[in-house]
Amino acid sequence: MSLKNQLDSIDERSHLADCIQRVADERCKQAFAELFEHFAPRLKTFLIRQGTDEAAAEEIVQDVMLNVWRKADQYDPQQASVSTWIFRIARNRRIDRHRRARPELDPSDQMLQPQQTEQPDITVNRQQIEIVVRREINTLPDDQMDLLKAAFYDGLSHAAISELFDLPLGTVKSRIRLAFQKLRRQLSEQN
Amino acid sequence: MPQSDNFDHNEIYSAYAAGTLDPAFSLMVATQAALRPSVERAVARAESIAGAFLENETPTELSDGALDRAMALIDSIEPERRDVTEGVMQAGYALSEILDLPEPLRSSALEACGQSGWRALSSGVKRLNLDTGSESTAELYRIEPGQMVPRHSHSGEEYTLVVTGGFSDETGHHVAGDLCVKDAADTHQPVGDDDGVCYALAIRNGGLKFTGALGLIQRLIGQ
Repeated sequence: MSLKNQLDSIDERSHLADCIQRVADERCKQAFAELFEHFAPRLKTFLIRQGTDEAAAEEIVQDVMLNVWRKADQYDPQQASVSTWIFRIARNRRIDRHRRARPELDPSDQMLQPQQTEQPDITVNRQQIEIVVRREINTLPDDQMDLLKAAFYDGLSHAAISELFDLPLGTVKSRIRLAFQKLRRQLSEQN
Repeated sequence: MPQSDNFDHNEIYSAYAAGTLDPAFSLMVATQAALRPSVERAVARAESIAGAFLENETPTELSDGALDRAMALIDSIEPERRDVTEGVMQAGYALSEILDLPEPLRSSALEACGQSGWRALSSGVKRLNLDTGSESTAELYRIEPGQMVPRHSHSGEEYTLVVTGGFSDETGHHVAGDLCVKDAADTHQPVGDDDGVCYALAIRNGGLKFTGALGLIQRLIGQ
C-alpha cells in the first residue's frame, strides 16, 4: 500500500473514531449515518461470506449498528480501532444467536464489557497492537495474506483451509504461523 | 492455553476472533484472556487482524431504506436500565464472588443462577451449568477451602481453567489463569487451596473429541 493510501486510511480511521465519539457524547445522528454508510455494506459482505442469506444478513447488520449506537460510550479509541470494535460486535452477535438466552438479558452486553484492568501496570496495549497490525498486514506476501484472511476473518480451520487452497496442512500451518509471528515480532520491537 | 501438543494456538485464536470457535471454548478463551496478559495480547492481535480485513472489505449494497430503518430502530429503543435480574437474586450469598468474576463469565454465571441454579456435589463443592449455546458442557465449579471435587466420569477431553483461587491435583498446583487438560482415562479430583474459595471453569465435549472429525472449530452458520 502506498504511503498516500496509508495516510488516507489513517485519516479515515480517525474520522470514524470521531463519529463514534459524537454518537456517544452528543447522540449525533449524522455521525451515526456516516458510520452506517461506511460499515453496514462491509458487514453485509462479511456475513454473506460466512453463508448467511441476504435477508438475515441485513437483519444482523441492523442489529449490529443498533448496538454501535447503544454502546458508543463504551468505545475506547485507546483500546482498539473502530473496525476491530465493530467487528467484535458482529462476531459476538453471530455467536449469541445460537444461545438460548433469556429475553431480559441482552447477550451482547456480556461480551462487550471492557477488559477488566485490576492491575493497570500489566494491561495489554491494544492500541499499539492495532497500529502495528494495520501497518504490517499490508506488507505480507499474498500467499500469507490469503491464508491469514481465511483463518482470522472467515474463521476456517487449518484443515478446511488446506482443502480450500489445495495446500498441504503443514504448509498452511507454517505460513500462518510465520505471518502471526512476524506481527508479534514487530510488536515486541515496539516495546 | 492448552498444553497439549495437538493444539495449534493460532488456530484457536483465529477461530475465536472470527466467531467460528465452539461457544463453550470461546467462553474459556475470553475468560483466560481476562486472567493472562499473554492470552489477551494474542486475542487482541487476532481480532485486530480480523478488523483489518473488515476495513478493507468490498461493500455490498443494502436494500432501499436500510438507513431509514436503522434510524427508526434508534428512535424506538428505550433508555438503558440496569435491572436486578432474577439471576442476581438467586445468586444469594455467592453474589459478591460472582460479581468479581471476569466478563463474559460473570454474566454467563449470573444468568445461569437464575436458570439451572447451583447444584451441590458435596458439602464443600457446588457446580453451575452454563448455557453457551454449544453442545459441549460448560460448568463453573465453586470449591471451598481444602475441599475435594468428587470423582466424575467423563468421556472425551475435559479442560479446566482456574478462574479464582487455586487447586491441587496429581499434576500439581494450579492457580488463576492455568488450564488443565484431561482425557477420559484421567481421574481428576482437585483439592481446593486452603486460603480461599476456588472458582474453576470446566469444558467437556462428551464422547466427541475436541480434535478429530468434528473438530474444535465448528461452523455456526450453514452446514
